[in-house]
Amino acid sequence: MTGALHSRRRLRLALLVAPATLWLVIFAIVPLGLLLVMSFWRTTIFGFSKELTLDNYRTAFSSWVYVSVLLDAIKVAAITTILTLVTTYPVAYAATRLRGRARSLFLLALFVPFWTSYVVRTFVWLPMLGRSGFINSLLMGLGIVGEPLDGLLYSQATVLIGLVYVYSLFMILPIYMSLDRIDPALLEAASDLGARPARQFFRVTLPLSKPGMVSGCIMVFLLAAGAFVTPQLLGGTSGIMFGNVIASQYLTTSDWAFGAALSIILIVTIFLCMALLGRGVRFEQVFVAGGH
Amino acid sequence: MDRRSRRSPALLALFCYALAFLCFLYAPIGLLLALSFNDSETIGLPFKGLTTRWYGEVLASSEFLLSLANSFLVGLASSVIATALGLTLAMGFRSEFALKSVIMKVVLLPIIIPGIVGSVLFLTFFGLAGIPFGLWTTVLLVHVTWVLPFAFLTLYPRLHGFDRSIEEAAMDLGATPFVVFRRVLLPIVRPSLIATVLFGFTLSFDEFIRTFLVIGANRTVPVHLWTLISGQMAPFLPAVGVVIMAVSITASVIGLVLAPAKQSE
Repeated sequence: MTGALHSRRRLRLALLVAPATLWLVIFAIVPLGLLLVMSFWRTTIFGFSKELTLDNYRTAFSSWVYVSVLLDAIKVAAITTILTLVTTYPVAYAATRLRGRARSLFLLALFVPFWTSYVVRTFVWLPMLGRSGFINSLLMGLGIVGEPLDGLLYSQATVLIGLVYVYSLFMILPIYMSLDRIDPALLEAASDLGARPARQFFRVTLPLSKPGMVSGCIMVFLLAAGAFVTPQLLGGTSGIMFGNVIASQYLTTSDWAFGAALSIILIVTIFLCMALLGRGVRFEQVFVAGGH
Repeated sequence: MDRRSRRSPALLALFCYALAFLCFLYAPIGLLLALSFNDSETIGLPFKGLTTRWYGEVLASSEFLLSLANSFLVGLASSVIATALGLTLAMGFRSEFALKSVIMKVVLLPIIIPGIVGSVLFLTFFGLAGIPFGLWTTVLLVHVTWVLPFAFLTLYPRLHGFDRSIEEAAMDLGATPFVVFRRVLLPIVRPSLIATVLFGFTLSFDEFIRTFLVIGANRTVPVHLWTLISGQMAPFLPAVGVVIMAVSITASVIGLVLAPAKQSE
C-alpha cells in the first residue's frame, strides 16, 4: 500500500519535472554539444568536413587579431563592471536611505528605463552623441567648441558609456537588496560603541553588502563580455568586440565551424573569469535578482 | 541620531548624486521623446517645430504593424508555454530528488550563455536539424527557452515557502492531483503566474540578439528596429523607439500592479 503510494508520488514528481527538463536538454544541452562538435569541423564550399580537427582553434590562437579582440572584450567587460559598480553603489545606497513612498518612487524611477529592449536603450545614445546630437549642441551653445565634435560616437569610450547605461540596473538591484537586508541594529550598535557615520559605513555597511556587489559584478561582466548590440551600434570599427567577430562569421563570411570555435572560446573565457570572480557564489540567486 | 545624520552634508551629497544618476538614465530617453516630435528630416537638433507626423508614419507602416503583431503573439505564446513549464518544474522542485542540483544548473544555462553565442547555438542547431526559420518555428522555440529560466526562478521561491499540508490534506480526502492543483495551489499562485507571464512577455518582446539569426524572413519589433537602424537613419526612428518603449513599459506596469505585494519587496 505505502509502496504503491510511494511509486505514485514518484510518477507525479517525474511528470512535473520531465517537461521542462526535456525541453532544456533538447534546446540547451544538445545545441551546446552540437556547437562544441562543430567547432572541430571545417567549413568547406560544399558544407562541412566532419573530420575532427583542431584547425579552427589553431587559426584563432595563431592570429593576433582574434586574441587581441578577445583580450579587449575581457578588458572592456572588466572596466564596465568596475565603472558600473563605482557609479551605481551610491545610487543603491541612496535608495536604502529613503523611506516609504519616496523609496518606492525612486526604485520605480530606476526600473522604468530598463523595461524596454536593450536595442532601444543603446539606440538612444546615437542622438545624444552624434554630430547634431544633444551634447554637441550643448557644447556649441555654451561656446565651448566651435565645430561639432566627431569623436563622441564610435569609440571604445562610447561603448563603455553604452554598456554601463544598458546594464546598470543589474548592478543596482543586487546591491540594493543586500543593503536592504542589513539589520539596522548592527548600525545602532556600532554607533553606540562610538563609531562615526563614515566608520559605520566602511566597517559595517560596505562589508555586509559584498554579496550584492559580487552578484552584480558577475551579472554585468557576463553581459558585457558577450555584448554585440552596443559595440555594433556605438563602437564603430575601433570599438568592435568579440561578439561582433563571432556574428560576422555567420553574417558575412558564413564560416560556421570557425564561428563555433570562437563561440566556445568566448564561453570558456567568460566562465573562467567568472569562476575566478565568483567562487562560492550561488548563481541562481544572482539571476533571481538580475531578472527583476 | 537618525535626524542628525539625515541632515548631514554627506547624505545631501549622496542624494544629489542619485538625482544626477537619474538624469543620466533619463536624458537620452527624454531626448528621444523630444526628437520623435521634431519636425526635421534628420534625427538630431536643433528642434525645428512640433509634429506628430512621424507617429503617423510609424502607425501607418504595415511593416511595423506586422512586426508589432508578430512580437505580441510570439511574446504571449512563448511566455505562456515557458510559464507552464517553469511552474511544473517549480512544483516538482518542492520535493527532494537525485538530479535536482544538476537540473538547477541546466536551468541557468540559457541565461548564462552570452546572447550572441545563444544565437549562434540555435542557428547551428536548427540549421543542421533542417527546421525552417520563422516566427512560429525557430523564434517560438528560442523564446520559450529564453523565458523558461526566468519563469522558473520567479515562481520557485513563491512555491517553496508554501505550506504543503493543505495539499496533502486534500489528497488524503481523495482529491485527484488535478483538483488539488486547481482548488488549492492555483488560487494561491495565480497572481504570481500572471506577473510571470507578463514579465516573460516583456523578455520575449524585447529580445533581439537571440532572435536575429534564426528569424528568417519574418520580423519582430526589435529586429525591425535593427534593420531600420542599420539601414538609412529614417527620421521616424525616434517615434519607433518611443512606441516600443510604451508597449514594454505598459506590460511591465501591469505586471507590477498585478504582482503580489511580496514581489515588489
